[in-house]
Amino acid sequence: MLTNLLNLDWTGADLLTTLIFLPTLGAVVLAFLPKESKWALQGTALAASGLTLAASILVALRFDPSTPGLTAFRVYRPWIPRFGIRYELGVDGLAVSLVLLTTLLTFCVLVVSCGQHLSRLKGYLAAFLVLETGMLGSLVALDTILFYVFWEVMLVPMYFIIGIWGGKRRIYAAMKFFLFTMAGSVLMFVAILFTANVHAKATGIQTFSVVEWTRAAASGAWHLPPGTEALLFGAFALAFLVKVPLWPLHTWLPDAHVEAPTGGSVILAGVLLKLGTYGLLRFAIPLFPSSAVRYTPLLALLSLIGVVYGAWVAFAQKDMKKLVAYSSVSHLALVVLGIFAGTAMAVSGAIVQMVGHGLTTGLLFLLVGVLYERRHTREMADYGGVAARVPVTTTLFIISALGSAGLPGLNGFVGEFLILGGVFQVNVVWSAVGALGMILGAVYLLTLIQKVFWGPDAVPENRALTDINGWELAGALPLIVLVVVLGVYPAPLLRLIGPSVDVVVQILRAKGIS
Amino acid sequence: MPGYLSVASGDLAAVAPEILLSVAGILLILLDAFARPTRPSYPYLALATLALANVVGASAPGTWFAGAVETSALTRFVEMLSLGGAALAILGGGAALARDGKNQGEFYALLLWSAAGAMLMAKGTDLLVIFIGLELMSVPLYVLAAWYRELPASVEAGMKYFLMGAFASAILLYGVATLYGRTGTTRLPRLAGLATGVTTIPFDPLVAIGLVAILSALAFKLALVPFHSWAPDVYQGMTTPAVTFLSTVPKAAAAVVLVRVLHAVFPAGPGDPWRPLLGFLAILSILFGNIVALSQRDLKRMLAYSGIAQMGYLAIAFATFSRDALEGALVFLAGYLLTNAAAFLSIASLSSGETEPKTLADLAGLGKRNGSAAAILTLSMISLTGLPPTVGFIGKLLVFRAAVDSGLVALALVGVAGSLVSVGYYLRVVYVLWMKEPTREVPLHEDDVMAGAAWLLLAAGILLFGLFPRGLIDVARTAVQALALR
Repeated sequence: MLTNLLNLDWTGADLLTTLIFLPTLGAVVLAFLPKESKWALQGTALAASGLTLAASILVALRFDPSTPGLTAFRVYRPWIPRFGIRYELGVDGLAVSLVLLTTLLTFCVLVVSCGQHLSRLKGYLAAFLVLETGMLGSLVALDTILFYVFWEVMLVPMYFIIGIWGGKRRIYAAMKFFLFTMAGSVLMFVAILFTANVHAKATGIQTFSVVEWTRAAASGAWHLPPGTEALLFGAFALAFLVKVPLWPLHTWLPDAHVEAPTGGSVILAGVLLKLGTYGLLRFAIPLFPSSAVRYTPLLALLSLIGVVYGAWVAFAQKDMKKLVAYSSVSHLALVVLGIFAGTAMAVSGAIVQMVGHGLTTGLLFLLVGVLYERRHTREMADYGGVAARVPVTTTLFIISALGSAGLPGLNGFVGEFLILGGVFQVNVVWSAVGALGMILGAVYLLTLIQKVFWGPDAVPENRALTDINGWELAGALPLIVLVVVLGVYPAPLLRLIGPSVDVVVQILRAKGIS
Repeated sequence: MPGYLSVASGDLAAVAPEILLSVAGILLILLDAFARPTRPSYPYLALATLALANVVGASAPGTWFAGAVETSALTRFVEMLSLGGAALAILGGGAALARDGKNQGEFYALLLWSAAGAMLMAKGTDLLVIFIGLELMSVPLYVLAAWYRELPASVEAGMKYFLMGAFASAILLYGVATLYGRTGTTRLPRLAGLATGVTTIPFDPLVAIGLVAILSALAFKLALVPFHSWAPDVYQGMTTPAVTFLSTVPKAAAAVVLVRVLHAVFPAGPGDPWRPLLGFLAILSILFGNIVALSQRDLKRMLAYSGIAQMGYLAIAFATFSRDALEGALVFLAGYLLTNAAAFLSIASLSSGETEPKTLADLAGLGKRNGSAAAILTLSMISLTGLPPTVGFIGKLLVFRAAVDSGLVALALVGVAGSLVSVGYYLRVVYVLWMKEPTREVPLHEDDVMAGAAWLLLAAGILLFGLFPRGLIDVARTAVQALALR
């Protein structure tokens, strides 16, 4: 075991292994540091997540989008060979783009945390690092059991992050988050076991590899009765749609977001929700394409309800975090709509929007956190006219909000435009309702800006409000830069994800979508 | 019958570890009676005995005592679990008992004897040997249950466990007698002849009655619903280091014997109505254990109900009864032993006198006061829930996978549903530990080196077997092969 570890090619063929476990290594080092030495703790956490970010950039630089399928950086080692369970890793453009998003957001969150007052700092940093391992592992694992392992590993650190460092109703929110997510995923667990059995019976090969399963599904090697396929699709889709979360499975999200500390909200909105849509693209749709096509109308309907409902409810919020949380419900519903629309344009839009939403919503939560850190309130009524007092925060917030609302020139526009354009090719009504969500998005985000930053500066407590500090700015700037760059020049991202989009589109087209 | 009276050296070698433990137990009692100042050395003596027994136990596979006793990879597996379980109870509990002045030599003697009984029980291929092993395992535990004899709860635990245990033993004997009356043998291999030609024997009421009686007695030891009612009271009243042993080793031994009996009678696996019956026990235990555990505020009672549910997951493997399932069952048992021991030992180490943490509220804020104990308890809760990357996940993965593979998807679904419910109480422990403010002074025993060693071993075991389960699975596989090839 140990010699195996030493023989790994950490920066070459096993780069993905390095990527996944670097954060955990950092967490282990943290465990042995004294909890009083704040700088050592922060330095270790920043070094671990910084190196992980560097490793992910290395992956992206070395990644060739034209590599077919998921064979780039493929790792293929036995884990539980008795049952064909492997330590199998690999990436495509979709995974690479989300890996970059994950490492960047985690790093930024940890940078920001250096400028915040946090109790029990050691545990906080360690939880984020373990969480990062879970997120990255989920994105690069190709064995479904391995994927499930990483998927569940995310639960416990997030439970701690919400439960220890959260707001007043943190215990309720943490438990609700845990139960909702796990309820979805245990069904997926049984579905995974069942699918492996189906595959073994049909092909004689015991494997849990999603690559081989996808191949079997595409070639029609497993002859599933439609009812069984629908149940399996349902079990997978449920696990992912809870995470997205699609209306009406979304109720855990506002609670979790509002109660989570700033960093927790950023990661939750920025990455965890994306893992839901990632799961749809990687597992649910390729493995059970017929059911995916059959249930598209239902899922589109739920998505459209989600788009409008999320936006509508966001508009009614008085709490800034809750508003941003409901905006996520709306935006992610649009992403699901784009995925199931199944045209190349819509699916690319969905993936671009996944990255874009991660950046802008991450930023919004981060900046709300900046205000909360100083005033300990998130009620919009407690602010008003603070633009003059916190000019830098205001500027950053406006850019993020406009990016989120889909202003042309910022990244939100690219994703939303592609989704709506792609959906238009399939169904005009869907597209029209989706566009309504976009308009409502502008309404509630502009209202938010207006209520918090402009208007009369009437609340006396705000006089002592200080602007964003160095650490917080350092954490926010890279994200702002990307919001602008990807808005003006999204071509590199589109090139990166192109082949992944084609794969999904072909799978769906083969089963009868236009 | 020839062979009963002549004992060969190979026969003695086969039960050498049991002999060693029994003799060492007697010596410990004598030592305590005549040289009391040696008391602090007992834990070390007991541990050395266990280590020696482990070395002696690695004897050649074969059948001994004219076919009444068998040694194989399977019995070796139980041997290692029993010795390990006893060692953990001593490592983690010795200091806690010493603090109360309850570390008499008898405690260690009783543990050693009980471990010997568990090992002998698993080695038995004759129903009478199994019975003797079961009694040798149980009687010391009745005494250990009443270890704090000045505490009413402890006496109650001892009395309840004794009365109900005696009843279960009687039922077992009744079953053995019935089978003997019908077949003229108590040897398991000869019972297999009963089933030749037919896959099931419900046609013969006497055999069915005998089998039901034997299975019931074993289900009692496993605390499967509806034979569970002793568990909460006994766990609650029994001293925690002893519960560490009680909640793990006897269950492992009983599970292996149950598999052995079923395998002997149904070489092709149990058919109707036995399989649905076992599945029914599994479902009942999972649902009942998990749902009742939700409402428990007493820590040990909660863990008793959790144990009932855990044995329910194990019973899924009995109902499946494929080779994969049994392999999974052994892995599950090993994981359960590590995990449960971790839970009870971290609770034991927080005791001082009678102020051992009793309710969930007593654990409040422990994460801040005694981080390592809280971390171990948290890890064990995560493993009991069945979340990766722990050994608890691997056990459930193998058992549920085998069930799905044999077409028993419904059982797997009940299993995961139960796991979901169990989040409610396992996570409550985590919540109380880390997210509540301390309400009482928590005793810190940082000088307890042995408990520290036990924690380190357990944490490493839970995580390493969770991350690299291959070795454990291979051992379990060899053990199950030994059963099937006989």
